[in-house]
Amino acid sequence: MQTLIDPANPPSRRAPLVWAIGAAIPWAVLAVAQVVWFVLDARLGWLHAVAAGLTVIGVVTFVVVAPVWRYRVHRWEVGAQAVYTRSGWLVQERRIAPISRVQTVDTHRGPLARLFGLADVTVTTASSAGAVRIVALDSEVADRIAAQLTDIAAIGDRDAT
Amino acid sequence: MLLVHPVHEVLRQVPLLIGAVVLGSATGNAMWSIAVLVLMVGFGVARWFTTTYRIDAEQIQRREGVLQRSVLSVPRNRIRSVSTDARVLHRILGLTVVKVSTGQEAKGDAVFALDAVRSDEVPALRALLIADSLPDSIEAGDGISPPERVLARWQPSWLRYSPLSFTGLATIAAAVGVIYQTGAVAALEDSPLTQQGLDAAERLGVAATVGVAVLAVLLLGVLLSVVRSLLTFGNLVLSRRDEKGAGVLHLQHGLLRVREHTYDMRRLRGGTIRQPLLVRAFGGARLDAVMTGVVGSGEASLLLPPCPAATAEAVLTELIGQPDAVTGELRHHGPAATRRRWTRALALPALFAVGLGVAAVVAAVPPWAWVLCGVVIAAGAFLAADRSRALGHRVGNGWLVARSGSLDRRRDCLAAEGIIGWTARQTLFQRRAGVATLIAATPAGVKGYRVLDVPAELAWSVAAAASPWVADSDWAREPAHS
Repeated sequence: MQTLIDPANPPSRRAPLVWAIGAAIPWAVLAVAQVVWFVLDARLGWLHAVAAGLTVIGVVTFVVVAPVWRYRVHRWEVGAQAVYTRSGWLVQERRIAPISRVQTVDTHRGPLARLFGLADVTVTTASSAGAVRIVALDSEVADRIAAQLTDIAAIGDRDAT
Repeated sequence: MLLVHPVHEVLRQVPLLIGAVVLGSATGNAMWSIAVLVLMVGFGVARWFTTTYRIDAEQIQRREGVLQRSVLSVPRNRIRSVSTDARVLHRILGLTVVKVSTGQEAKGDAVFALDAVRSDEVPALRALLIADSLPDSIEAGDGISPPERVLARWQPSWLRYSPLSFTGLATIAAAVGVIYQTGAVAALEDSPLTQQGLDAAERLGVAATVGVAVLAVLLLGVLLSVVRSLLTFGNLVLSRRDEKGAGVLHLQHGLLRVREHTYDMRRLRGGTIRQPLLVRAFGGARLDAVMTGVVGSGEASLLLPPCPAATAEAVLTELIGQPDAVTGELRHHGPAATRRRWTRALALPALFAVGLGVAAVVAAVPPWAWVLCGVVIAAGAFLAADRSRALGHRVGNGWLVARSGSLDRRRDCLAAEGIIGWTARQTLFQRRAGVATLIAATPAGVKGYRVLDVPAELAWSVAAAASPWVADSDWAREPAHS
């Protein structure tokens, strides 16, 4: 019997804020559309109420609950031999991949992430089911990890398949 | 060789040809049709003249294109499998298409195919291409030097599994679709034949007519399935050739369209025994290869079509040399996993029953609805029982085995050294039930092999038992208790 303890490092402290803003944008568009609809056509009051209720539930779930929940779940760690992450909220995943089999290491910064100085690191292996993503890291941490992983992966000389 | 391209070009452009003929007859000037035909044949000839291939020390190269030139090169040491495919027209002319597959999944133009090589050049070409990816260069050219060992040969008795597939019904559905598209049905509606049919139907009554129609479609479907299976797999031979520890697997099948696949055995990472419900009911199974550089599902990875389960198991055992992995007892996943199978299979039928009950209070419900409800619940219960019986895994001796499913039961046997990543996934419900789905990532086959609903505390010990790098990682711990 063996278990794996969870990885140690949390994502950036700004991660929940960025996730919340990212989720808030589409919901805000939807809310504005509903207001416009109400202004143009105020008949069928119950339909407006139902739509507004659904929007409120969606906003609370995706803008308030999900980012906090994800921040509590997300963890990552780069060990001597493997990369290990934990992610998700409703569906949670723990994923481990050996560094000797790493093929590419990418860092990715979306527009919102750049605004807040965040970056994602994606570590791919030869299997499309085995890519490890470490999301919402502080930019300098992401660069450090990418450099570190590239260094270790370069030592191995096998073709990683 | 010169004939294939123009003829195929014409066949490929049939819609254009029809358009040209229509245009020709509409304008009353047959020159239009002839001009288009000449253009297409000319294009085909030009394609043949502009397509060349060469094999040098490091790579094979194909240059092609009439207006756009393209060059496709494949390093020879990256070749994982070589397959040939000869359709009827190719065979009449003594030609074959040679396809070369590397680790990458290529689609469309990126597939390295040499269309129309002379058939008598093919064995030498195949030996040359596949031999080069083997370790100590085996003398290419005389591809028959070591004796071939036949692993399986098609038997007429295998045909008994083919009526149990849906390919025949699918063919009929496709044919009906095409007929509707062409508008032939509208023309038929007023024909005397249809009138006669309608009169006959009135005499027989609706139920009998529907019964006869369904029976006829089923019979036709069975017939088509059997014929297709015979044409595709009749004369199938699976053989293996070993040299200096590196083997080559050779699969050949097809009565009209002949297909041959040659695989480098060092790329074999295991196999999947698949038993769809109907095939399993008659003791059959089919075998797929789990191999790097070969697509994991469908025609490309097929090693054996539906055949007696014992044959499939014997062949897989022969290939991977692990009888335990192929037929050994599996460790079951316990009551939580079984409970989840039942709740999932019965949730919808239960909802249906409740809905029906509510409806019965408000209005009269026809008796057949209750019968239907009973059938759905019984089917759900059978599915749940069958699925929970199937669920199991086995790990050890460097192999991971996972079995699951009912309608499409599969037993995946995967070499642990080919696993390059592990994922333990838990939905909210799985966390409450204390189970996890373990996914082994590999470059071979379908890339991710799932062990469904393992008890959560067991999940990482399965991974650790298969992959030493998990057991040796910085996070591995023996639990304090137990």
